[in-house]
Amino acid sequence: MSEASIAACVKWVDLHPGVDPATALPEPSAHSWGFSEADRAALEVALRLAEARGTEAVVVCAGPLEARRCLAELAASGPARAVLVEHDHQSGPGTSGVVLAGVLGPRHLDVDLVVCGDMSNGRGSGSVPAVVAHHLGFAQALGLIELDPGPGTLRAVRRLDGARREVVSVDGPAVLSVEGSVAALRRAPLGAATSAAMTSEAVEVVRTDPHHAPERPTRVVPWRPPPRAVPAPHEADAFSRIVALTGAMADHSPPRSVEGTPEMAAELILEQLRTWGYLARDGEQT
Amino acid sequence: MTETTEFDAVVVGAGPAGAAAAFELARAGRSVALVERGPFPGSKNMYGGVVYGRILDTLIPRWWEEMPVQRWVTRRQTMLMTGHQALTIDYRTDTWGRPPYNGATAYRPDFDSWLADKAVQQGATLLCSTTVTGLLVEGGRTVGVRTDRPDGDLRAGVVIAADGVNSFLAKEAGLYGEVSADNYTVGVKETIALPREVIDERFAVRGDHGVDIEIIGCTGEVPGGGFLYTNADTVAVGLVLSLPALAAGGSRPEELLAALKAHPAVAPLVEGGEVKEYSAHVIPEAGYDMMPELVGDGLLVAGDAAAMCLAAGVWLEGVNFAIGSGAAAGRAAHAALRSGDTTAAGLAGYRTRLESSFVLADHRKLREAPHLVMGDLAQRQLPGLACDVAEAVFQVTNPDPKPGLVRIARKQIARHGLKLPTVARETIRALRAYG
Repeated sequence: MSEASIAACVKWVDLHPGVDPATALPEPSAHSWGFSEADRAALEVALRLAEARGTEAVVVCAGPLEARRCLAELAASGPARAVLVEHDHQSGPGTSGVVLAGVLGPRHLDVDLVVCGDMSNGRGSGSVPAVVAHHLGFAQALGLIELDPGPGTLRAVRRLDGARREVVSVDGPAVLSVEGSVAALRRAPLGAATSAAMTSEAVEVVRTDPHHAPERPTRVVPWRPPPRAVPAPHEADAFSRIVALTGAMADHSPPRSVEGTPEMAAELILEQLRTWGYLARDGEQT
Repeated sequence: MTETTEFDAVVVGAGPAGAAAAFELARAGRSVALVERGPFPGSKNMYGGVVYGRILDTLIPRWWEEMPVQRWVTRRQTMLMTGHQALTIDYRTDTWGRPPYNGATAYRPDFDSWLADKAVQQGATLLCSTTVTGLLVEGGRTVGVRTDRPDGDLRAGVVIAADGVNSFLAKEAGLYGEVSADNYTVGVKETIALPREVIDERFAVRGDHGVDIEIIGCTGEVPGGGFLYTNADTVAVGLVLSLPALAAGGSRPEELLAALKAHPAVAPLVEGGEVKEYSAHVIPEAGYDMMPELVGDGLLVAGDAAAMCLAAGVWLEGVNFAIGSGAAAGRAAHAALRSGDTTAAGLAGYRTRLESSFVLADHRKLREAPHLVMGDLAQRQLPGLACDVAEAVFQVTNPDPKPGLVRIARKQIARHGLKLPTVARETIRALRAYG
């Protein structure tokens, strides 16, 4: 495969799903599958970056074969290549990112800049940019709301909480994610759009090896401390036993403020957790 | 990437007329581009009634097995209404619930996409999200269209304008004379979600059978009519309102629609539902008398763009006329391309085909009907008169004896300020109009 240095990753989603009034779950629509505004903005950013740097852009989608026609229409906007990585997008969170990283890496497309939409309409986990960056070993600049596609070091503005902004400089291989307002995808010329409507042959289809399923991230759940065995209360009457069990009448340690080094703060927190019984003391089993 | 911008024919608008035209051209082996401004066919379309599918017999064998249908209409009602009364003529037959069926309710995004997909399967090229901005004209002859895309000229031997009721292409080509707002109505519609079993119970239907109700007398001072029909798990209720009367008066469509939904004959049918959609669309109401020239040099006009919608009171049909005219346009365009003459003379076979089919035959036969339906007698007098006669007939006034039907009719006619000669004259006019 020839080298392409900038890739736009897009996700084929139901843009206007209905909602089941009984279950409030989304119902897939028959007509409105496509690519989100954020993904379309990502492609436009990739095209502008490619133009500014004199290189080529490629659009990549991990999804089912049904996405091929939509991807061909998207590709009519100007990327040099369009690649569909055949993938069951229902196969679990994070798997799309792993599959994409496999194609974007040095063995295939060998890109050095990846642009994604910051979110899709598909109720996904939003993890694709981070997973791609992790697997490629790239830096991340996520949630961008402005981007200067000029040559040289890339300068972008990132949205932070509390209406704050962060200006970031991106130098070297990176994964960017952009909001839909960053850029409007250019209209495809009529000839290219017509050709895309006639055939989707321009889209290269890459099939992943079914025997090498992508690594699925470990399921993440909140940590819940194990139950702690306490001796049975020995008080004579029921009321006293309840008081003893719940500690309702016991003295409580009041909140306190301490100042110190991070190490000291961590040790205080651990000691308090031991006091409450959430952590075992040395030599003690929980 | 190979770029293609020249076709045997370009069809503008992927509604039923455009899809049928593209279907026929592609089936005949012609290269045809079907250009749609929405993201998919039917994405902007609405309608207020029934799809009569038998016209599809010539295009898609056993179409009923795959057409996206909400319900097959087996129960048809015409309701005459005043502010507090309603007189309903109710007809039902299970025959319409079996192949080859009669009419069906359908969602236009589903139906239009399905029909356009049939054209694509025949070889047509469907180009969505592309707006045609004008005609390409050379030497007075249409040779293609301009679109809003970069490098957006599309050349073709024949252009078929199926671009809807406001057809800018037919107007640009000078095929329309002076356009009068009197010829147009505006349709407004609410789609209301109700559980399927609730619809079955309220409308007394089962399975995939449904009801279509046409209403007159529900539009206050504005000439027009109403409709109510069942989908699988929604009902659609709406009004068709005279455009100039609406503009001149103080009524707003949504207020009139709210009044219809609150009417004692309608409220029990829709109450408790959730409004999922409110939509509005202009309708060409005047039929034959407002039709443009159907043929120009290199140009044909079909569907609502050619005012093919039939609004004749008991017959309210649009989709079947659109498909019929579109299919005829496709066949005529193919014949003209084959003969190498796509001038207006070469395309004249289009009108001939329409005249020999139901499309223009029905429109010509019923050309007076739209005026009759929107006239003063049908709008202001008939609903109240019919309801009062029915009330007098069915009301028992003992100890007074029954007055007799003739006496009731004469009394109510007089009470409504009508004279017998006027009623007789209008009755004869109606009989002539409906042939």
